[in-house]
Amino acid sequence: MSAIQTLDISPVGRVEGDLDVRVDIENGVVTNAWTNAEMFRGFEVILKDKDPQAGLVVTPRACGICGASHLTCAAWALDTAWGTTVPRNAILARNLGQLVESLQSLPRHHYGLFMIDFTNQNYAGSQYFEEAVKRYSPFTGTSYEAGVTISGRPVEIYALLGGQWPHSSYMVPGGVMCSPTLTDVTRAVSILEHFRRNWIEPLWFGCSMERYEEIQSYDDFIAWLDERPEHANSDLGLYWRMAMDIGLDKYGRGHAKFVTWGYLPHEDKYQNPTIDGRNASVIMKSGVYDGAADTHTLMDQAFTREDVTHAWYDEVGGAHPFDRVTNPVGKNPIDPDGKYSWSTAVRHSESGRLEAGPLARQLVAGGSHGEAWQHTDPLILDMYRKMGGPSIALRHFARMHELCKLYREAERILREFKLNDEWYIKPTEKDGQGWGATEAIRGALCHWIDVQDGKIKNYQIIAPTTWNVGPRATDGERGPIEEALIGTPIQNPADPVEVGHVCRSYDSCLVCTVHAHDAKTGEELARFRTA
Amino acid sequence: MANLLWLQGGACSGNTMSFLNAEEPSACDLVTDFGINVLWQPSLGLELGDNVKSILEKCISGEIQLDIFVFEGTVINAPDGTGEWNRFCGEPMKNWVKKLCDAAQYVVAIGDCATWGGIPATAPNPSDSEGLQFLKRAKGGALGENFVSKSGLPVINIPGCPAHPDWVTQILVAVASGRGGDLTLDEFQRPKTFFSSFTQTGCTRNMHFAYKVSTTAFGQRKGCLFYDLGCRGPMTHSPCNRILWNRQSSKTRAGMPCLGCTEPEFPFFDLAPGTVFKTQTVMGVPKDLPTGVDKKGYMKLTAAAKNASPAWAEEDIFVV
Repeated sequence: MSAIQTLDISPVGRVEGDLDVRVDIENGVVTNAWTNAEMFRGFEVILKDKDPQAGLVVTPRACGICGASHLTCAAWALDTAWGTTVPRNAILARNLGQLVESLQSLPRHHYGLFMIDFTNQNYAGSQYFEEAVKRYSPFTGTSYEAGVTISGRPVEIYALLGGQWPHSSYMVPGGVMCSPTLTDVTRAVSILEHFRRNWIEPLWFGCSMERYEEIQSYDDFIAWLDERPEHANSDLGLYWRMAMDIGLDKYGRGHAKFVTWGYLPHEDKYQNPTIDGRNASVIMKSGVYDGAADTHTLMDQAFTREDVTHAWYDEVGGAHPFDRVTNPVGKNPIDPDGKYSWSTAVRHSESGRLEAGPLARQLVAGGSHGEAWQHTDPLILDMYRKMGGPSIALRHFARMHELCKLYREAERILREFKLNDEWYIKPTEKDGQGWGATEAIRGALCHWIDVQDGKIKNYQIIAPTTWNVGPRATDGERGPIEEALIGTPIQNPADPVEVGHVCRSYDSCLVCTVHAHDAKTGEELARFRTA
Repeated sequence: MANLLWLQGGACSGNTMSFLNAEEPSACDLVTDFGINVLWQPSLGLELGDNVKSILEKCISGEIQLDIFVFEGTVINAPDGTGEWNRFCGEPMKNWVKKLCDAAQYVVAIGDCATWGGIPATAPNPSDSEGLQFLKRAKGGALGENFVSKSGLPVINIPGCPAHPDWVTQILVAVASGRGGDLTLDEFQRPKTFFSSFTQTGCTRNMHFAYKVSTTAFGQRKGCLFYDLGCRGPMTHSPCNRILWNRQSSKTRAGMPCLGCTEPEFPFFDLAPGTVFKTQTVMGVPKDLPTGVDKKGYMKLTAAAKNASPAWAEEDIFVV
């Protein structure tokens, strides 16, 4: 009989924000896990009773990494609440901001946060280790330096639209603040081209984007990898070969059920935005993919529930965000059997716990549900089926696979702008309920707003990491990352890099998560502050 | 070689993200060309868990010389002053911050949260947040009014939501290369080299400001954002229109009103209903006037401006 060793890891680091993980290890393998979100600021409390547009200023600051995504949600939430008309140019300009933020995140996350673990001594025995150290060592690795530095370029396009990245508020109900000129468009085209010529093609693919885009199946991908040494030795090629070599396809599975809100409203289909009309208007479709049943269904905000049994809130039941009144506990000791996180457990009322993120988006993109004109892509679903489900390797691959699509859509938008047409239609402010959603690079993000008497009565955010990093639910079912940690081999408990791989494959953002679960009433909070 | 440690409290990572946009020098250049040794950084550090804790402890004991301590995010005091709502390495972050500030040669606060509390400290300040040496305009903060680091300087405040990467890299290089003594700080401990001029300095809308021609709604191709849309460019200290953002633009150039995010009061008016993207006025005169201008002077100035305003100023100027 072997002893169970409990390991508390604080902080996990490189996950954006403060994530702590507790794992039970038996015979060198994780047998149980708890994820703790350890920071609480209170944005939703701050938003209560404020100007209806306060969310446009405050919520991009919820997260310095996904600010465009928060701003997108905040703007669409007000658009649906106020019943605005959003001009075609403005839909395109919002989407472009979102796209370039995600393009920025691809090399930044890959080199800055994910790949440096491949230089860990744990992998000194790998045939690829020496090359990994050369390319991916923090600050000095050849690809690290190139990738992290060039990651600043796509968001220059954001600055052309919104003045700066991060933390602009250029998207407003009724449109956008900017009215770009030909110079801005030409610069943006040139910046994209620079990104492609200096990173995407020479370093990332070792081939043209067009060649990579021919890949439609797992077999195609393997054939591409073997086709030329430039492919195998590209940063994508080396990632895949080393990930297989060090076994990242063997663990990090999770619940194998996935969610996406869909994103990028089509410029001709969402000019009169409503909550119910969103699913049929987005280019990248919404959905829930159940891996075990192999089924696709549409997602709807009405399915969302938040369970607080194991979160530091004093409430009962799993309410829909519009109905939730949250009471945070005052003292927050970690109790693995009781409450142990500021994150709630988010559930789909019928499908339960779901994983959000690029893997979810790509598995949904493989489905035949939704509108006939919406984007589809069979690759990741094919890999998922052939590889026997999710893993660290596939999750991170799915994230990077979106590169070409994001790039192509940004290119298309720059062609579609009609520069002399309107960018903003001044709306009439009124009371009402709204909902805005998108897909941040790391997954499903949405905001609910309730405006009454000309001010915010209730503002609710559910971030992708809320879905992923949440604690157990009432029924004891683990959160997605907790579940994904089960079966993780730990070679060196003094440096459990494998736990880092799992958490980073979800590209967790604790920064966002803690915002999403703040106290909803100032009164309740005051009680604890003066206690 | 200068050892740098960077931690985050009640933060959004926005200053880290902004920092990574730096060029000339880039974040990597700081390490490879300017001899800054990054001991740990939340988004970039190699280590996790106890290995991070060990670095912090060695900095505090002096086993590792801590030359520069950078802090991003607020110092969270809730609940009841314990700081337990923001734990790091199993301990309230505020305790680490105090010990590390005492050990450091220089302490640099980056972004509004670390300087004066920023968005999290907006009423009702649910997390009981404050900056390192200020809470909004009030001196004190987490370290107290009289705190000075080992170099003899108080906390160097680089505000902004976020701070511009060049403001950060240039100050870090100055400190790391022994030029810390050359820095002059203003009353809010901001480096004067960046925060003596105004956001309006260099704004492409200055002629419209001078002739009192307003951008009356978003998306227009002319006008100044000060008169109707709440722009704070004339009373905010920052070089946003001298050192452009992401090498391309600034908020006011792109058509977004300045929110005054380098000043301690940001977000202004606590985001009360009716205050967002709308100039606050009393009898038609803005409540907050350009720095140093009084109401009588403002009325004379704008009356003269209106009279002198040329016809072209009312036409679109930022055209396709």
